[in-house]
Amino acid sequence: MAPLRWQVFLAAAAGSHHLDSATPCQDAGHYLLAGDTLVGVVCDGAGSASHGRDGADFVARSLAQLLHEAPAADLAAPAASQTIATALERTRSQLESLALAGERSLRDYACTVVGCLATAGNAVFFHIGDGYAVFRDAAGACTVSPPENGEFADQTYFLSEAGWQQHLRVTLLPAPHGGCLIGLMSDGTAPFAINRSRDGFYAPFIDPVVNFLRTASPIDGERALLGVLADERTFSITADDKTLLLALAA
Amino acid sequence: MSLAIPDVALIDNSDERAPLVLVLDCSGSMLEDNKVGLLNDGLKTLETELKNDPITARCGRVLVISFGGDNNVEIMGDWTDAMDFTPPALMAGGLTPLGTAMKCALNEVESQKAQMRSAGVSYKRPIIMLLSDGEPTDDWRQVAADCKNAESAHKVNVMAIGIGEQANGEILGAFSNKGALNLNGLKFKELFIWLSRSIQAVSRAATGTTVQLNPVDSWAQVQT
Repeated sequence: MAPLRWQVFLAAAAGSHHLDSATPCQDAGHYLLAGDTLVGVVCDGAGSASHGRDGADFVARSLAQLLHEAPAADLAAPAASQTIATALERTRSQLESLALAGERSLRDYACTVVGCLATAGNAVFFHIGDGYAVFRDAAGACTVSPPENGEFADQTYFLSEAGWQQHLRVTLLPAPHGGCLIGLMSDGTAPFAINRSRDGFYAPFIDPVVNFLRTASPIDGERALLGVLADERTFSITADDKTLLLALAA
Repeated sequence: MSLAIPDVALIDNSDERAPLVLVLDCSGSMLEDNKVGLLNDGLKTLETELKNDPITARCGRVLVISFGGDNNVEIMGDWTDAMDFTPPALMAGGLTPLGTAMKCALNEVESQKAQMRSAGVSYKRPIIMLLSDGEPTDDWRQVAADCKNAESAHKVNVMAIGIGEQANGEILGAFSNKGALNLNGLKFKELFIWLSRSIQAVSRAATGTTVQLNPVDSWAQVQT
């Protein structure tokens, strides 16, 4: 079997809500690539949290690093679920120390988590709160990790919450292969990147983007992706921050 | 190489809604000082304001309930998306069956939520705005308690607003945990501009945000 090669592009654009108030984007994303193993994480800092952006950034980096360092055997299903839960627990406790050092509470760093762990033979999504993760195989069939909201669309769950384990969802995916696509996104991106039936990407959005990225350099690709997320047409769709990580396998 | 990705469709595939119920006093006293006329003008302002903002026009969902006549409560048409909202022409006359009207509003909110849920449409916390220039002529105590309980359970946000000096602020205040506010003079226009901005804030609220509504000093009487 030919080795798997990933092209990964990540971009985050502040929504009009934050642009209007001159406050920074509260989303953060991070990924690490080693051979055919990809760890990607996108976090959305809660608008109600005073340091949501810091929390999102810390959690995305820490999780990616911890999972990147995990032994290969621990990344394969079914061990992956426990590896992920342990990485989340460690990240959360580091974040708590950080919060205490700043005389703040963990709640001040509230953020959602949507991530993927993908190697040649295995792949999983892990997810707390809203946002979407989508795996599309080479034939176009999709596996989706949907958002978890409360009764209302503006309620969700965060890693900082006491009962976060009850809201951790791990989705086993088909083995990644050439031509498959992984997308991780914050809830601001979902209205235009996810289709109406919410079971996959919205093709008129994702197809032109993927076609462009396949032949783009990492720098050009990320700049172009940022251009799409910051496009003023998105302002009439959402006022929220928009983050998208796309991983294309070849 | 150009960095603009060609032919990317950017359209909204989500179906998020921010429901609003207006519960409006159309009793005989609303004829005094042409309050009902000013209220009708205010609703037209609301229509314009809601439609002017693209996100609010798409997300806002409005229902008008009027009360007056011979203890009549009338649902003025169906729930409509803000972009299709046409205000009804309200006529004043008769009694003030405020309790029945609020009961109707609570029921409508719950059945609309059930409908949206079954259609897979997500929604923000509904707002019920009650406007009255008097006091109820029907049984209101149980309904007022139901409204407060629904608020405490985060099912709905109730705003109770008195119009003029004859409005019974104490009774109106019993319908919301926030108490009642009183319209300063007859600033219906300012009130509905504020309401539209509130719907805008709710529509645009990011997940996990506590929606901070704008200050009410443009239309509310300052308590001294």
